Order: sequence, then C-alpha cells, then structure tokens
Amino acid sequence: MASGNPSGVPGHHRPAPASGLRGPAGNFANSVWLAAFLALTIACAPAVRAQSDDTDSPKPVSVLNVGAGFITTFDGGDAHLGPLISPVLLIPIGDRWLIESRTTFESDLSQPPWSNSFKGYVQKEVDYFQLDFIANPYLTVTVGRFLTPFGIFNERLYPIWIRNLQTDPLILPIATGPSNASTGAMLRGGFALHPKVELNYAVYFSALSTVSPVDSDRAAGGRVGLYFPGPRLEFGGSFQRHLVDVHSNAFGFHFAWQPRALPLDLRAEYARAFTGSGYWVESAYRLSQVHRWEDAMRRAQIVARMQQYFTGASPATSILPVNTKFFEYGLNYTIFQDFRAVSSYGRQFTPAGNSNIWTVGLTYRFVAALGRGE
Amino acid sequence: MTAIRKFLVPSLVTLAVFSATLWLAAQEPASAPAGPPMAASSTGSSAGPHPATSVASSNAASPAARKIEPVRSSAADRLEGEKRFKANCGRCHQAPPKFPPRVMATAIRHMRVRATITDDDMKLILKYMQQ
Repeated sequence: MASGNPSGVPGHHRPAPASGLRGPAGNFANSVWLAAFLALTIACAPAVRAQSDDTDSPKPVSVLNVGAGFITTFDGGDAHLGPLISPVLLIPIGDRWLIESRTTFESDLSQPPWSNSFKGYVQKEVDYFQLDFIANPYLTVTVGRFLTPFGIFNERLYPIWIRNLQTDPLILPIATGPSNASTGAMLRGGFALHPKVELNYAVYFSALSTVSPVDSDRAAGGRVGLYFPGPRLEFGGSFQRHLVDVHSNAFGFHFAWQPRALPLDLRAEYARAFTGSGYWVESAYRLSQVHRWEDAMRRAQIVARMQQYFTGASPATSILPVNTKFFEYGLNYTIFQDFRAVSSYGRQFTPAGNSNIWTVGLTYRFVAALGRGE
Repeated sequence: MTAIRKFLVPSLVTLAVFSATLWLAAQEPASAPAGPPMAASSTGSSAGPHPATSVASSNAASPAARKIEPVRSSAADRLEGEKRFKANCGRCHQAPPKFPPRVMATAIRHMRVRATITDDDMKLILKYMQQ
C-alpha cells in the first residue's frame, strides 16, 4: 500500500533475474512440479464431493467485492494522500472450481517542493489471479498468481477494510516476493486433526516473472498452522527456499489468539531471511464491553502494534538500510457495516533519526452479486 | 537509556489504556450485548448461551422430543454454525452481514481457499449464514 512503508524506503530489493530452469534449481523445480502432479492425481482419484452434499444448496453466483479507502499519512511532517481501490472478483464454476482475482489501484500523492499541489501516479498491481480446484475436503489445488503464503498478514490481514493499522508491518516484504505474490502452483487445505485441533497448510512453487504488474520470484515454500478452536489460538510456521541468484532460506512463525472472554485480537509474526529479520506484535481491543456510551463504544477499537526490523548481512540487499523500531497506536471507529474511520499515531526509531507517522482515513467494503443473489 | 525511555513510555501508556478499559469493563455486569449493532463483534462475542441452546435443551427433556427431532437438529446445527462462524470468520475480520444465499455460497468457497477453513466448518457456517 502507498502508506505501507513508513520509512519511505523501497520495500523490495529484488535481485536481478536469473535465466532458465537449469542446474539444482531446475531439478528442484521439476521435483516440485512432479510432486504437485502426483498429489493432484492422487487427490482426484476418489470421487469425493468437496462442496456441500446438500442438493438443495443454493448455487454460488459470481461476486464482486470491492475494498476502497482514502488514507492520509503524515510522515515526518510530509503529507501523503493515498486513495486506493481494490476489487476482488470471484467466479465460481460448478461445485469445485473458483476463479478469484484481486487488483489494486492506489496512489501516493505528495507535494513536491516546487509545487503547491499534490502529485503522484496510479500504481496497478494484480495481487492474485488464480484458479482453485477443490479436490477433496483435505486439498485445494491452485494455479496462477497467488498471494505468497508466508506468515498470516499477507494472505489474511492485508485488505484495507480488514487491517487494524493502515501501515504495513516492516517485515511484510520478507519472503513474500515482489507485490507480495507468487506465480505458479500451490496445494493447500485445512482439516480437523482432532475435534479440538485443526491443521492448515499450503505448499507452493513460484516461477520467475519479470513482467509488471505480475512479477514474481522463483521460490518454493510452505506454511503450516495449528488452530485450536476452543481457546481460539493459532500458531504455525512458514518456510521458503529462494531460488533466484543467491539461493537462500527464509523462515517465520506466526501466532494469533482471540480469547473468548474479551473482544481482543492478539497477533504476532516473526520472519528471517537474507533480506533481514524482525517481528511485529499487535493487539486490538474492541470496546464493546464498556457500558458507558455503549453505542459509540461498541463501534470503537483501539490498537497497538510494536515492531522491530534488523538488517540482513548486507545493507544493500536488506529491505530497509538500517535497523528500525516502530511503535504505533490506533483508534478505529465503525460508522456502519464495513465503513470505518481509521487513525493512528506511530513513532519510528532509526539510527538515522526518529520520526512521527500519523494516519487518518476512511475504509469501505461492499459486496455485489453479478447475477441473481437469492 | 534514552531509547529505553522512549520505548518504555509509550508501552506503559498503552498498557495503562488497556488496563483502564478492562477495569471499566469489569465495573458493569456482562449482560449487555457485545459487538457492534450491525453485526456480531469479531471476537469475544460468543460468551453466554445462545437462545437456541435452551430451546434445544428443553426440547431434549420434553416427552415430545422424538417428534421435534428435525427441529432440534436444526437448532443444534445453527448453534454450531454460529460458533464456528465466530471462531473462523472473526479470526481476521469483523463478522460480515448475512449476504443473499448464493452470494454466501461464493463467499464461503472463497474463504475456504483463502483462510483454509475446514470442510465441516464451511458447511456449518454456510448453513448458519443462509438461515
């Protein structure tokens, strides 16, 4: 997002593309493809209906889900205007197939020293454009461009109408690739290991693409998580083997907890790669249990997040050039369903200097059926 | 030392705000509804029995329980669906409103892929959201 990198430093330092699928990388990639093919064949062999068995279940219809927002960021005194619109298109086919895509149009309008007006350009990104095949209750096969399943923020918390704070975590670019997406194939699913424990997983291979706005790195990796529905606790880990130029490993851990007794979200991530390492911890508390000014309180949410980033072995390949600490506090207010006013104050600490980062804005999401919804 | 002070102060302020909020919450009985009025709160709003629970319980004790078996099953499914809806959907975002049935069928398929919710959860949530 335009306001995603509060330091103003470009988030990605993608190495120059390598050519072809040769050597160990090629063997590894071929093995991954072979494994994916075998898994797909095995998974499709039993005629297991993945969707509801109820014959009277309504047939899904194509849906347009649009997230939009306007976020103003004051970064060290400089104002940035950030309009954003992000349509998600969902096209179900039959009982088992789904085409889904999300494109983001956003801008970071700032005021040049020589001008009194805000200037900028519209950035376009295809966040994902994928075909999903729900093979059985344990496996979904995805091909195309998809959000890299590393950690939980990129896949689950990124949309503007979901996130509690409008700035991205500093470690978001770690192992997520350019535009936080991959191009290739992915196997994923979730199922109950035990009545009290659910397992979710994703493994993928991504090919190199240098075509904007669908660029991606060659990489392979996966994520696995355990979710305990009783205490609403989830933790897991992610791994990625980066296969462009300098082959390297990245790994991370994630944690999420929503205690039943409180309207509180606790989330955290840690990630480490050659581009750096770091963590973030976020808590968000909805004031619905405060019984003064109830109507206003239950719409309000206070958020706090602390994060830290450490540069990699070489500052040239690091996401940020210097170690960074960032504290942020936010207040969100739900005006009506999926329409929020958001605000935050953050203080960033770096050896190069400290700065205040303020954000204020509006976010909105609406859903429309592209056909008869009933 | 300066850095520690700069980190500690905002951390302590945050802690104080959270503590004050929790203290305020503890001053009142937990009988009022939780969550925004337009939808269930994303978290923590499932405390307390749902009306369907007592209906199902009373039905189970009734001599006519056999006759209303389908109703009881439906109520139990609804309760379980609501529980799983809050546990799964609320992990990432506020509980959405009830969309039209065919829209909901698409949304839940999308969430099955995106959030890797299980097949059982998907069916129960879909049933709950379509009621």
